[in-house]
Amino acid sequence: MDRRQFLRKGFIYSALGSLYASTLGRIPLFAAGSQHTSAGNYDLVAVRGGEPVEMYRRAMEEMGGMEQFVKPGQTVALKPNASWDVPPERAANTNPDLIAAIVEDCLKAGASQVYAFDHTCDEWERSYDNSGVEAAVRRGGGRMLHAHLERSYQEVDIPGAKRLTKAKVHERLIQSDVFINVPVLKHHGATTVTVAMKNLMGVVWDRRFWHRNDLHQCIADFCLYRKPDLNIVDAYLVMTQNGPRGTSQSDLTRMQSLLVSPDILAVDAAASMMLGHQPEDIGHLRIAAEMGIGRMNLDDLNIQRVSV
Amino acid sequence: MKLYHLKKIRIAVSLIFFAALLFLFLNIELPFFKQTGNVLLHLQLFPSILHFLAVFFTISALGFLLVILLTLIFGRVYCSSICPLGTLMDMVSALARQFRKKKQRRFYFTSNRKTVLRYTILGATILLWISGSLFLLNLLDPYSNFGKISTSFFQPAYIWLHNTFVFTLERFDIFAFRPLSMHTLPWGVMLVSLGIFLAIVILAAWRGRIFCNTICPAGSLLGLIASKAYYRIAFTEDACTMCKKCEWVCKAECLDSKSKTVDKSRCVSCFNCFSSCPNHGLHYTHIPLTAKTSTNQGEVANPQNVEKRNFLLTLTAGLLSIPLLRRKAFPQGTDTQSPGMIPHGDRLPVTPPGSLSHENFNNHCIACYRCVGACPTKVIVPAFFDFGLEGFMQPKLDFEKSFCNFDCLDCTRVCPTGAIRKQTVEEKQQIRIGVARFLSESCIVTVDRTDCGACSEHCPTKAVQMVPYRDGLFIPQVTPQYCVGCGACEFACPTSPYKAIYVSGVSKHETAQTIDHTEGPREDDSDEFPF
Repeated sequence: MDRRQFLRKGFIYSALGSLYASTLGRIPLFAAGSQHTSAGNYDLVAVRGGEPVEMYRRAMEEMGGMEQFVKPGQTVALKPNASWDVPPERAANTNPDLIAAIVEDCLKAGASQVYAFDHTCDEWERSYDNSGVEAAVRRGGGRMLHAHLERSYQEVDIPGAKRLTKAKVHERLIQSDVFINVPVLKHHGATTVTVAMKNLMGVVWDRRFWHRNDLHQCIADFCLYRKPDLNIVDAYLVMTQNGPRGTSQSDLTRMQSLLVSPDILAVDAAASMMLGHQPEDIGHLRIAAEMGIGRMNLDDLNIQRVSV
Repeated sequence: MKLYHLKKIRIAVSLIFFAALLFLFLNIELPFFKQTGNVLLHLQLFPSILHFLAVFFTISALGFLLVILLTLIFGRVYCSSICPLGTLMDMVSALARQFRKKKQRRFYFTSNRKTVLRYTILGATILLWISGSLFLLNLLDPYSNFGKISTSFFQPAYIWLHNTFVFTLERFDIFAFRPLSMHTLPWGVMLVSLGIFLAIVILAAWRGRIFCNTICPAGSLLGLIASKAYYRIAFTEDACTMCKKCEWVCKAECLDSKSKTVDKSRCVSCFNCFSSCPNHGLHYTHIPLTAKTSTNQGEVANPQNVEKRNFLLTLTAGLLSIPLLRRKAFPQGTDTQSPGMIPHGDRLPVTPPGSLSHENFNNHCIACYRCVGACPTKVIVPAFFDFGLEGFMQPKLDFEKSFCNFDCLDCTRVCPTGAIRKQTVEEKQQIRIGVARFLSESCIVTVDRTDCGACSEHCPTKAVQMVPYRDGLFIPQVTPQYCVGCGACEFACPTSPYKAIYVSGVSKHETAQTIDHTEGPREDDSDEFPF
């Protein structure tokens, strides 16, 4: 290949590439708006006593299956917690087996692709590797995307937000039809608990802005941009102190539980109670309830409690 | 073996060695090249000597003895094969010659040996080194400069290419490869690297190995040793027709067919001359040192004596210059100024874990930036004058940019000089390279009365804990005995322009305490959900 040929070919390929990206790549296969229909008619399913995957399968059975949330051809954005460079037994990140099962389920329900990512706190490659999350996503058949470069993020407006009126959000979240949030329940030094709402800090570029501008308010504000269609909370091994990173296994309690709900506030409220807190004592939950982001009063909810 | 094959062998070996070292600096891990590169790392002359001085007798620290032995037998083969900068210069020189007319591609013998300049530089370098400053060595050592050039220019270029490829694939929904993180070096360091790179390119393009035979301290030292080499290149009196073809390809400009002499101290054993000679007019053989190869009429009667004299002369000259370059040493032990009262500017630089102390680090780091390129979080950056003139251009940890990942050992694995020692994960997690200081009065929690906790969130040892403050808020509290100085708190802190929590280095690394880790996970005693 001479230089001219090389240049010509390069030009053609890159033109084709950008053509693809600007046309075909953007056509949503199905109209967005993946409003679920709660088949099991439960607002929240809480399972305890089993292994993570076992409890997950049972919970989804109660919820009416992943088909309720993922329609054939849709793309799924999955937000696990893979923020820390610690092994799975330290439970600072979401259980990898659980993630693999969820990815598998989404694809079984007909998802065209499942994209998982997390803007990590520790070094991203080590976190993706040592948390076992990247391997799990691949094992399930999905794709783990990097989220450590600003180029992957696009600015969005958050109407109705008090402090976080704009945020740079990972482009895959913007493009995906379904959003599934898979946090791990942990103690948190500053926000007392970290569950589903706090987990969404890993889909934005500038976390410091949140810390600088009333953290609790920003956490609640972000839910106005996009609430996950489904929240699956890993509470198998729960970090009850020294969170969110933990120092060793002695920070953990084996609660062997799992919570599933389409309502991000309800699931956070239930999870907070498992750590011994009243939901209204947690700043971002209280604010979210006031802003009407979800339902915090668990007495009003149709909750299915299962032991396996 | 025919002598004209030697050049081909030399080129093949040097290219393999060059690739192996380049791949090391680019963090490209190819099986054969990686092992070769790691062996070669131990064969770099000055890094190996530094390593030996740092750790004394280990097999890997004795590479320099092998190099000296090799030089004593075959001459400066080091400069032609093992030295990556030498190979780089050969490439530049060969390339530059392609753009010239045939006749202008030639080298010419020069009798100007620049002896005074050569040994003054070598003497000053060694003397400064003995006096505790690696300033000149870090500026002139060929391995160090190859490292600087690679890390400053080759690695970014490679990362850019790699990432362009990765991002192109991503457009087609292929996510098989990960993009690499680009580091940004301080502009001052980039300028110095650029200056060195340009100087090397210009010198090589102009006159081949003039750098190696004038400035390079490794070249000068090996030149001294090579003049006693067992095998040497020599003219075959009867066969040489004085056609000068060998002189035209001698990039060290050390062959003189007129007087039939070879300047052994300048010859880099590239063997180009053998391939160029149509007549077998050169041979490679043992020549007893006493035997005079030939007398140089025009030159000084005994050049070796002059060299010795000059060497001694420059030694004394160098000695006198030491007080000018000495900088006062760092205070020993932990600095004990109270937290919250010191402006950030007063803090000590932080050296990588495993570097033991500022003193050890400054005395052994050759500023090759291998750790800079290997660091996955890019927290290690070349400093400029942070360590003073003694540690000129040596790296430090910059927590504005990033922080040291708790479980990572990458920098401790790559250092060729022993400036950063190998560690186990358990050891590394307890090494205190600095201590966090919390400035309560500029903290978000105190000033804005909102929760934050970014520092504590990132703290891997819980040296920074959130404790109850007022109105249900939590405020950071530093427990220094747990702090390892990783800088995660400083990096995460959202205040600007000055962070409310920051890390100051400790000049002698310490051992941090750890929170009790003996228990496993507790069992949950409740049998139903609390809701």
